[in-house]
Amino acid sequence: MTTDEGIVYDRSLLGVETHIGTFELTRELMLGFAKSTGETNPRYVGDEHGKGNIVAPSTICNVFVSGVSRPDIKLEFGEISFFAGQSIECKAEIRPGDVLSASTKLDNVYAKTGRSGKMVFAVWETHFKNQDDTTVALVTESFVRRNKSR
Amino acid sequence: MSKNLYFEDVEIGDEIGPITRSVSDDDVIQFVSIREKKVTPSRFTSKEFANSEGLAEAIVPGPMNIALMSQVLTDWSETVCLLKIDVVFRQTVPHNKELTFSGIVTDKDETGENTKLECDVVMENSDGVKLVIGTGIIALPNKS
Repeated sequence: MTTDEGIVYDRSLLGVETHIGTFELTRELMLGFAKSTGETNPRYVGDEHGKGNIVAPSTICNVFVSGVSRPDIKLEFGEISFFAGQSIECKAEIRPGDVLSASTKLDNVYAKTGRSGKMVFAVWETHFKNQDDTTVALVTESFVRRNKSR
Repeated sequence: MSKNLYFEDVEIGDEIGPITRSVSDDDVIQFVSIREKKVTPSRFTSKEFANSEGLAEAIVPGPMNIALMSQVLTDWSETVCLLKIDVVFRQTVPHNKELTFSGIVTDKDETGENTKLECDVVMENSDGVKLVIGTGIIALPNKS
């Protein structure tokens, strides 16, 4: 069962878009991302010398959403926050030299009660557009707050 | 990795992977350092910091997990185009432990209008406990 009744947070933030940054996707950054995740697909890492045309792994936008500071929703619940889930829709290829602009909005806040007690989820949607105003990715993230295990 | 996998080659129930690997401390630091020029202690990079947050050990960042999950699909064949991946983090993912990633084709568009496939993907620890589960939508080219 999910509900948002009784959850105290700043509801004025629901649906309000906030620009969270502009990010240049260098070839070096793309290759660093691929290397850190053990990527071997030549589509993302090039040939054996790292040369040739590449595109970014579709999940690279995570690098940018994970580090941003979003508006504080002033959620009055829980002692610890976790990343609960995420979806990424890959709309267009990201190439070296692309400059991505990202904006995010609070989409939903709801509570669930499970075996470990009450948890409150906050869901954020982030759009990434490239320098041609083409949407390249839509990232939906869900964060959960709960109390520490005793 | 299969070089030339086509839509017509795949049936519902086809298995993808498995891939077994671990994520080292250095892998996580390299991942974190893509955004942070100076990596500071966090639940992702420091056991002590993780302990202070009630965690038993440092954990793999969620965005890194989703990148690893997507590789199950994109490593299946060079012809795979990932359209969407949706994951749920069931448990925290530790560093330096064997992780197994696998997938299965759960749906195939038979209308002829597109070449999309739906797949379930999962990351398990060495005890078979599901740490991250998810679904992916991919497209493959037609043979014709």
